[in-house]
Amino acid sequence: MTIGSAGSSIVVPRNFRLLEELERGEKGIGDGTVSYGMDDGDDIYMRSWTGTIIGPLNTVHEGRIYQLKLFCDKDYPEKPPIVRFHTRIKMACVNHETGVVEAKKFGILANWQREFTMENILIQLKKEMAASYNRKLAQPPEGTYY
Amino acid sequence: MANSNLPRRIIKETQRLLSEPAPGISASPSEENMRYFNVMILGPTQSPYEGGVFKLELFLPEEYPMAAPKVRFLTKIYHPNIDKLGRICLDILKDKWSPALQIRTVLLSIQALLSAPNPDDPLSENIAKHWKSNEAEAVETGVFLITAKEWTRLYASGV
Repeated sequence: MTIGSAGSSIVVPRNFRLLEELERGEKGIGDGTVSYGMDDGDDIYMRSWTGTIIGPLNTVHEGRIYQLKLFCDKDYPEKPPIVRFHTRIKMACVNHETGVVEAKKFGILANWQREFTMENILIQLKKEMAASYNRKLAQPPEGTYY
Repeated sequence: MANSNLPRRIIKETQRLLSEPAPGISASPSEENMRYFNVMILGPTQSPYEGGVFKLELFLPEEYPMAAPKVRFLTKIYHPNIDKLGRICLDILKDKWSPALQIRTVLLSIQALLSAPNPDDPLSENIAKHWKSNEAEAVETGVFLITAKEWTRLYASGV
């Protein structure tokens, strides 16, 4: 299921869309290897989120837990959120100094559509970790942060 | 165009909301999205929300009227059935929804909820506790009333 894609002209406004994502995140996603939640329960505009990805099996990331920050501005979901790794990682689409996921190197952000969700981004990043050009890259020490 | 296939029922409801607004309630659709309403509810007299102007947002999902409208407060409010994100715990927005209800009835119910909180079905345990203790003591000085009035002054003064 993709949130907000009615296949028709009905547009779920930003805040109600984020409330849907919040509830979905609270229920838990799939096998639990990706998850997300809101940072500040008092922020009525629901801007700051933390995502977590458990490194995929049979890669250098296996057994590691990666924390990310997602920032949904007022123009979300017309525009994608700003996505930044908090946990240090070496990966083709991630700026090695800031941890920012660079949109032009990461398809889902480069070709963003309104129906895409934070869940989609995290799942896609997990797949990206297991891609041939990422799965064997030497990684920074575990538990270090940007 | 986002609004071209708007069901007749929604058009009718909108027209009536605009031409005959319920006392203390205003609701108008946004220009870009006719299913998305900016709502204002005045705090009912003789409630701790009196004098407050509360902003809400309302969205009619695709399934409306088979499914309830989605509504939440944008103005911070101290109330046992409204959480920090402005989400409202009200039976007609959930399992007691019926297609015979309308946007107007939903907003009137929310206005009534401000006058008569339902502490047995709280979203906020803390606030409900304060409300109950206040009801038991039946004194103006209860923690609930003081805080609810204070928040109304701070966040809902309408300026």
